Amino acid sequence: MKTVLPDAPAASDRADVGGSRSTGEAGAARLSRGRRIVRSGVWFALPAIVFVGVFFVLPQLYNLRFAFSNWTTYSSNITWNGWSNFETLIGQGLLFTPIGVTIGYAVIAMVTQNVVSLALAYAMRDSTRLNGFFRSLYFLPVLLSPLAAGYIWRGLLASDGPLNDFIGIFVPGFDWSWLGETSTALAAVAFVDAWKWIGLTTLVYIAGINAVPRDALEAAVIDGATAWQSFWRITFPMLAPAFTFNVVVTLVGAFSAYDVIAATTGGGPGDSTRALNIVLRMQWGLGNFGAGSALGLTVTALVIVVAIPLVWWLRRREAKA
Amino acid sequence: MTRRTRLFSTLRYLALALFAIPWVGVPVWMVIVNSMKLPGEAAALDLTLPQQWNATENYTAVFVQGNYLQALGNSLLVSLPTILAVALIGAAASWAFGRSRSKGMQIAFYVISLSMLMPPTLIPTIYLLRELQLDGTTLGYILVLIGTRMGIVVFLTTGFVRSMPEDLEAAAAIDGASRLQVFFQIILPLLSPVLFVGSVILIITVWGDFFFAQFLIPGSGRATLPLSLYSFANSSAQSLRWNLVFAHVLMTGLPLVLAFVFAQKRVIGGLTEGALKG
Repeated sequence: MKTVLPDAPAASDRADVGGSRSTGEAGAARLSRGRRIVRSGVWFALPAIVFVGVFFVLPQLYNLRFAFSNWTTYSSNITWNGWSNFETLIGQGLLFTPIGVTIGYAVIAMVTQNVVSLALAYAMRDSTRLNGFFRSLYFLPVLLSPLAAGYIWRGLLASDGPLNDFIGIFVPGFDWSWLGETSTALAAVAFVDAWKWIGLTTLVYIAGINAVPRDALEAAVIDGATAWQSFWRITFPMLAPAFTFNVVVTLVGAFSAYDVIAATTGGGPGDSTRALNIVLRMQWGLGNFGAGSALGLTVTALVIVVAIPLVWWLRRREAKA
Repeated sequence: MTRRTRLFSTLRYLALALFAIPWVGVPVWMVIVNSMKLPGEAAALDLTLPQQWNATENYTAVFVQGNYLQALGNSLLVSLPTILAVALIGAAASWAFGRSRSKGMQIAFYVISLSMLMPPTLIPTIYLLRELQLDGTTLGYILVLIGTRMGIVVFLTTGFVRSMPEDLEAAAAIDGASRLQVFFQIILPLLSPVLFVGSVILIITVWGDFFFAQFLIPGSGRATLPLSLYSFANSSAQSLRWNLVFAHVLMTGLPLVLAFVFAQKRVIGGLTEGALKG
């Protein structure tokens, strides 16, 4: 994970390594003919380009039209109606509040996921047999569908569920509906999302930690650095590429929040967990396809507005480190 | 190892074990014991063993009312072709992208990689499938999954192709091997470790997909496991019947967990050995 987007096919020529020197002139000419054959396989990329073009890019373009159209179940001829879908949504409180909820969800999920993953990765960094067992164990939630994870935590966090029973040992009579109270519902659903994915992010961090050169760490120990110092001064800066990847992927992924919320709160209580995709589903159910498209476009815009500057800023930080 | 470092690693293992109790142990235990209780007892969501065992009835309900086997079959019918197609098409494209120097190919590579971060748009996708007369079909759902999940595999694999020397392919090409032969006999085997990692990530996201499935394959006949779990959980008008929900959760999670038990060394190894490095 050196970069979030690797450099495109290098323009500078890196051919003529090896080969030409040992095989002589004629051999070199033959080899470069061979390379030309290899490089001209453009049509190998064609199926992928067609699939992504038709089923990913084309719908994005359609969306630019639908978001500004009056398409509903009742009017199937799609005509331009400007910003009126957005205005209607704003009027019903279905745009700005869901944007806030979505951003809140994504930030809480991203921070939780990366903090816990970093700690777990640091604890399980050595490839011992026992750590192999723990890595598998902590990977288990990743295998669950987000929906199943949602149901499990709906049980764990219920007011008479195991978490409250445990707290009740220390605080007799403790009773709190984590998913049912406005103040904790959003944090709770975002936490479940993080819980589901932490095993995977952890492995990415372990790969990053193990790529840190041993010499640097040993030198630090000789110079009398504590474990805490050598983590923050050496390991963490060198983790920058893994950090960039994980932060961006978790944040952007959480903008599409839906499954966990559908399994737990369904958007409530009130509108405290009503993320953009939940509203999109509601509008779809009502037959307001134009308004639904407007919400989809909002999610896309959110990703572009947040992800591109974030990648740029994190990459610059990487370059400095 | 000095005594100090040995003490530290023991403490670390102890901390990992302690943290695993609430993190994995309690959730798994809660699902298992409650899936074998009577509805009334499961409603208390306790971690105690069932006072009265009701496992057979609960799991029968998952199979009969929950249509478990049909949903499992539907999930396999969606996941396997999707993963095969993405791995094969993605590997072929990565080979072309990794070796090409043309501007157009660079742009195509960027767009495909970007599809990894950008959320797909659902309502226009449904519109498109209607135009193609594939709306609400398994095939339509598979095609959309292939098109929207291609990014991660192309991204991972292209980085890998660039790190491989060209000489082997070039030599084979001179010796008269066709491009298809070079691809299937040289490239694909070399790419298999990174394709394996890509497929693991794919199967996790495709198998668990609920949001897309809910829009693209509505109706019970084509329902995959997450769809079946959702309609099963919401089938009673009152609050959730935890004994049944947990039985379905367990059966829904089981296939991937079983596969993982057999392949865990390769899965964890592949993901930690930096296959995700660009």
